[in-house]
Amino acid sequence: MSKTKKKIQLLQVASKSYLLISALLMILSSVGLYFYTKYLLQDEIEEELYSTHYRIEHRLSENKIFYNLPPVSEVEEVGELRPESLKDTIIYDPSQDEMEEFRELTSYKEINAKNYRITVRMLVVESKDILLAIVFSYIIILLLIFLTQFYFSKARDKILWAPFFTNLKRMKGFSLQSGYPIELVDSNILEFSELRQEIKGLMDKVTSDYQNLKQFTEDVSHELQTPLAIMQAKIENIINDQELDFALFQALSSFQNDMQRLVQLNKKLVLLTKLENKQFINAQELNFNELVNDTLLNFKELTPIPIELEEKKTVLLKADTHLIQVLCNNLISNAIKYCIPEGSVSILITEKSFSISNSGKTAALHPEKLFNRFYKEDKSMQSNGLGLAIVKKITDYYNYDIHYTFEDEKHIFKIEF
Amino acid sequence: MKILIAEDENDLQQAIKEYLSKEANICETASDFEEAAYKLSLYEYDIIILDINLVTGSGLDILKLLKKEKRKVGVIIISANNSLEDKLKGLDLGADDYITKPFHLAELNSRIKAVLRRGKYGGDNNLIFNEIKIETEARMAYVNEKPIDLTRKEYDLLVFFITNQGRVLSKEIIAEHLWGDSSDMLDNFDFIYVHINNLRKKLKGEAAKYIKTAYGSGYKFMED
Repeated sequence: MSKTKKKIQLLQVASKSYLLISALLMILSSVGLYFYTKYLLQDEIEEELYSTHYRIEHRLSENKIFYNLPPVSEVEEVGELRPESLKDTIIYDPSQDEMEEFRELTSYKEINAKNYRITVRMLVVESKDILLAIVFSYIIILLLIFLTQFYFSKARDKILWAPFFTNLKRMKGFSLQSGYPIELVDSNILEFSELRQEIKGLMDKVTSDYQNLKQFTEDVSHELQTPLAIMQAKIENIINDQELDFALFQALSSFQNDMQRLVQLNKKLVLLTKLENKQFINAQELNFNELVNDTLLNFKELTPIPIELEEKKTVLLKADTHLIQVLCNNLISNAIKYCIPEGSVSILITEKSFSISNSGKTAALHPEKLFNRFYKEDKSMQSNGLGLAIVKKITDYYNYDIHYTFEDEKHIFKIEF
Repeated sequence: MKILIAEDENDLQQAIKEYLSKEANICETASDFEEAAYKLSLYEYDIIILDINLVTGSGLDILKLLKKEKRKVGVIIISANNSLEDKLKGLDLGADDYITKPFHLAELNSRIKAVLRRGKYGGDNNLIFNEIKIETEARMAYVNEKPIDLTRKEYDLLVFFITNQGRVLSKEIIAEHLWGDSSDMLDNFDFIYVHINNLRKKLKGEAAKYIKTAYGSGYKFMED
């Protein structure tokens, strides 16, 4: 179980992917917007720089006096002409008493036979603030849109998927044994409607298969009883009718033994079927301790293995006496059967529980299979593998808890009422 | 003793008849509901062995018929249906015992004797075999009028032997009678040997010899 990946809810997956995609879109578009606006602003600055530059040039060519206005514009006479340059630069601005970033255009021009270097600058900071303001508000707007959309679509998904979740819940509550057909809600969404049809079809098939199987088991075990009765009766007559030789009697006797196994198997199958059909309605108040004591009396004459019983409280149950007898019988005989020769069996009855333990060497190999039909932990044992399956069915029938543990070289079965 | 076996399964009916006829019983048979009702209307029986699922009707209706006519007859129901409801219904309608198919004939025989003993049908509560006497109501056993102390299983074993005297009883049948469904839990039947040995010791002397070994692994209760 722990190895399987953690499952995520459908609606969570849907909103998760939505959130992921919107976050990605938001980042990409914000970056895009940032660069585009930046490009536009820079373009605008450069346009202005060139236009100022042009005006200065024009003024110089008309021989008008130009006053330097550092750092915005500077004109200087130079020896030689150099190529024009456009770059960012950082200059100390005394008015603000801090370093400021400027865009700077420097060009060399020969005007009226004099070489001039003309430098124009423009403050970039302001444009940067504008850029940030635009991008920031863009992000806020987007965020608002996405959030609204997110909650809106979440709510919509919930409504949209409602038939799916309702049906899922009903399927979880469905039990084959209950015999009630499954009721699924229809939807006007085509896929859901189809899904419902398919599930209904499958469920009907499973239910009818289950019923057939149950009927089959019931019929087979019922039909087996008469031929078994005839065989048993005939063997008994043969044994009594004539003088037999030793070997023939041995054979017939072993035949009887095998038939007995078949009879027991059949009886247990019938009991299981009845439990599945919930045919035990004769619940009555019974003294569990008395029942255990009676059962023990029977077993103590059958086995040399010591059986200890500790009763802390008297337990009164409301259940079918026969079923509880079978429950005790199967658990005690199981404990005796699987007890090691020099070991012992001990039983503890408390107010809310019944536990039975027997000595053993190793824990059950497949504890999860112990309650399965026809499962045998030890193949060499002459057992039909139905005893514990019946125990489990009976505890399920009355909503008791049963579990198996292996502690201190002891197999322990504990029932909690 | 006159017995009616109402069972629609012919083989089983004949096997029961064969087994019960040996003790000088008069056994008659009925193969369906009508035949059973007809024979009951004509003759008196001590015991009816009644299959509840007769092919043309329910054994329960036969019981109703007997109840209505207030007939004094012991009824043992045999049924393939091991349902408590059927059992309760049958016993409610006046049946004396209920046995589920498949069963051992020795077990059926023992149940017939028990029904007859209960006195309701003029039987005797005591079982007597030579010097052995059993008071079934008090569950006490005596040898030469001296009480012997038997455990529950030893007592059951002795009664089973006496009611099936002269018949070979295999360990399987004895185990099934004494322990019912729990008898399948042991791989061998040594524990029967222990119980029989203890019983022999308690019966002492002559009486102990009545329990004879048959074919090495079976038992037979009889006089020499």
